[in-house]
Amino acid sequence: MKRVDRWVEDGARGLARRTSRRSVLGRLGLILAGAATLPLLPMARGAPGKTESTKDPGDPSSCDYWRHCAIDGFLCSCCGGTQHSCPPGTEPSAVTWIGTCHNPGDGKDYIVSYNDCCGKGSCGRCLCNRNENDKPLYEPFRANDYDWCAGSKVGIAYNCSVARIVGTAK
Amino acid sequence: MPWLLGMLVAVQAAHAYEPQANYMLNCMGCHLEDGSGAPGKVPSLRTTLIPFAQTPAGRRYLVQVPGTSQSALSDREIAELLNWMIRSLSDRAVPRGLGDFTAGEVGSYRSERLRDAAATRVRLLAAAGNRG
Amino acid sequence: MWPAEVRAAWPARQHRRFRCGARGSHAGGEGTRSRCTGWAPALLGAILGLAGPRASIAELAPEPLINEGPLPAHPGPHWVWVNDIVFDYMADGRAYLIDADTGTFRGMLSTGYGYLGIVPARSSETLYSPETYFSRGTRGTRADVVTLYDPKTLSPGAEIPIPPKRAAIMPMVNAAVLTDDERFLLIYNFTPAQSVSVIDTRNRSFVGEIDTAGCALVYPTGPRSFFSICADGSLLQVSIDEHGKPTGSAHTPKLIDAEADPVTEKGVRSGDTYWFVSFKGEVLPLKVSPTQISAGTRWWLTSAEERKKGWRPGGLQHLAIHRTLHQLYAVMHQGGEGTHKDPGSEVWVFDVAQGKRLRTLPLASPAGSIQVTEDARPLLLAAFIGSHDLEVYEALSGKHLRTVSAIGLTPTTLVLP
Repeated sequence: MKRVDRWVEDGARGLARRTSRRSVLGRLGLILAGAATLPLLPMARGAPGKTESTKDPGDPSSCDYWRHCAIDGFLCSCCGGTQHSCPPGTEPSAVTWIGTCHNPGDGKDYIVSYNDCCGKGSCGRCLCNRNENDKPLYEPFRANDYDWCAGSKVGIAYNCSVARIVGTAK
Repeated sequence: MPWLLGMLVAVQAAHAYEPQANYMLNCMGCHLEDGSGAPGKVPSLRTTLIPFAQTPAGRRYLVQVPGTSQSALSDREIAELLNWMIRSLSDRAVPRGLGDFTAGEVGSYRSERLRDAAATRVRLLAAAGNRG
Repeated sequence: MWPAEVRAAWPARQHRRFRCGARGSHAGGEGTRSRCTGWAPALLGAILGLAGPRASIAELAPEPLINEGPLPAHPGPHWVWVNDIVFDYMADGRAYLIDADTGTFRGMLSTGYGYLGIVPARSSETLYSPETYFSRGTRGTRADVVTLYDPKTLSPGAEIPIPPKRAAIMPMVNAAVLTDDERFLLIYNFTPAQSVSVIDTRNRSFVGEIDTAGCALVYPTGPRSFFSICADGSLLQVSIDEHGKPTGSAHTPKLIDAEADPVTEKGVRSGDTYWFVSFKGEVLPLKVSPTQISAGTRWWLTSAEERKKGWRPGGLQHLAIHRTLHQLYAVMHQGGEGTHKDPGSEVWVFDVAQGKRLRTLPLASPAGSIQVTEDARPLLLAAFIGSHDLEVYEALSGKHLRTVSAIGLTPTTLVLP
């Protein structure tokens, strides 16, 4: 689901600075090794510095986690789920959009499935929208502007999105 | 660092993926990892790939259906993808003698637009004796 | 509600302080004291120069409780609807009506789950509103309806039930549109199967669905035709008859390169021309007729130098058109790939006939959605989904006129009544 990361919530100060800094740091994440060295930006959410492993570095509750390169919505990791599980009482939507994100931990590109978890109101925490290789609505599988809960059994009420690895992009 | 950005974009655009990755990027979102789809919303591939691939009309449909024909994949990539799908996602063994798709065959179908996907599929299912 | 007790009590409380004469129901009883005695009432009476027992001073008259309105059937040129998907509480979608000249909040509509926006019909003075409701708020049985609102009272009237398939997306104007004569309402469906629901506004009924597999959204091209944008970069133009049934369709050749530099969905229209803009800022003009669509000469919003510096359009509703002045307005920001939804810090204004930039308007705060009023002294209105303010500028000079605050939780698109 689409949502702009609330990095402008703090006010209008330094708009251009924050915009370019964010996108530049996103690019740096693609080309630098060792994501643990990436500074956490003001818009990062969740407990800072949590690292799962060196092969899957970064904090899944942070917008800058490598898998979130094309995510759009609330991070299930902050909502009672994890990067690959839905919060209790929500229904996963199997139908979804797909992204390709670069893992700085092992240098590989992974195919990431952003399944929505559905059937409850918006979680409201850890809002994150990144649009790497995102496409307009007429390319549905790569468009994060759809509420993909449309494909769920419980309807379009959207709670949060996971970032689930489904394969390597090779 | 605009030149680096340019490089990155170029790398991403030029990359050709293997059939399984192409399936994930272009089809899996709706048809799911095992091709089973969502009843009532998204057709199953598992039950129909082989029956459709066994008739000229069915092979044409597999290429012309918008999800295939309108994708960004080349004719060759589509041929390889369909061949992979038939082997990997079908709910039955591949019959001996079932021909592989070729780029040329895909191209010949792809130049024509499919008029009514839903009705065509119903006809093909009836012909194949399936209930889809 | 106007209970007699409330009415009676309030004036009485006032009277108690300043009135002369017997109090309450103890008239005439022993022990009743007139409050006319004492220095205070006398002094007040003298100051205010009022005589008589009923009114020592001018006082506020009691007020009935009524509805404000009716609103003008044809609101002023500087009124705007601000749609709000209320992303954190999507069951409570809204649209707000703002008078941008005075910064007045004139009223609102409550419009259900995942709200995309209203579709005003000027000829029939009706607001059409495709809405979704669940029987238990966020779960239960889904019901999609088109609600008809009276723009003078902002009250819901008739409902037209439609298939529960309308696309749940980030708000876009071209999710639901009227045909050019406003006879049919067209709604883009996504289940993920793609189709268009056709609603007859005269008969107030759902007519049927048109299969538009592989293609998205609806862009009217006449009283009985529209196009959708397809995944292969072609456009699918569809014709319908007097009953709203499809009579034929045709694809254009590929006009859009979705891989290299896709156009965004946020095209704008004036007469027989649409203008779409790509992620990188190239304009694709489309000449449309009821039976044909052709691409015009493309041009760039930016110079090569500006592109090197990363200037691009971005946001949720990044284009606006002033039809009589032939001016295209675009929200611009600096950023690289993947920033096509970022808000901008400037609005650039172009003469669409020549494809030349006329001026650059710096914004007081980031904007992702803009709209331009249609009159000769137009306003530029700007909103951002991450802000609660509607910014109002003079479109021609860029002068920031006012901020209308507390407009929505996550305001999305701006629609002129």
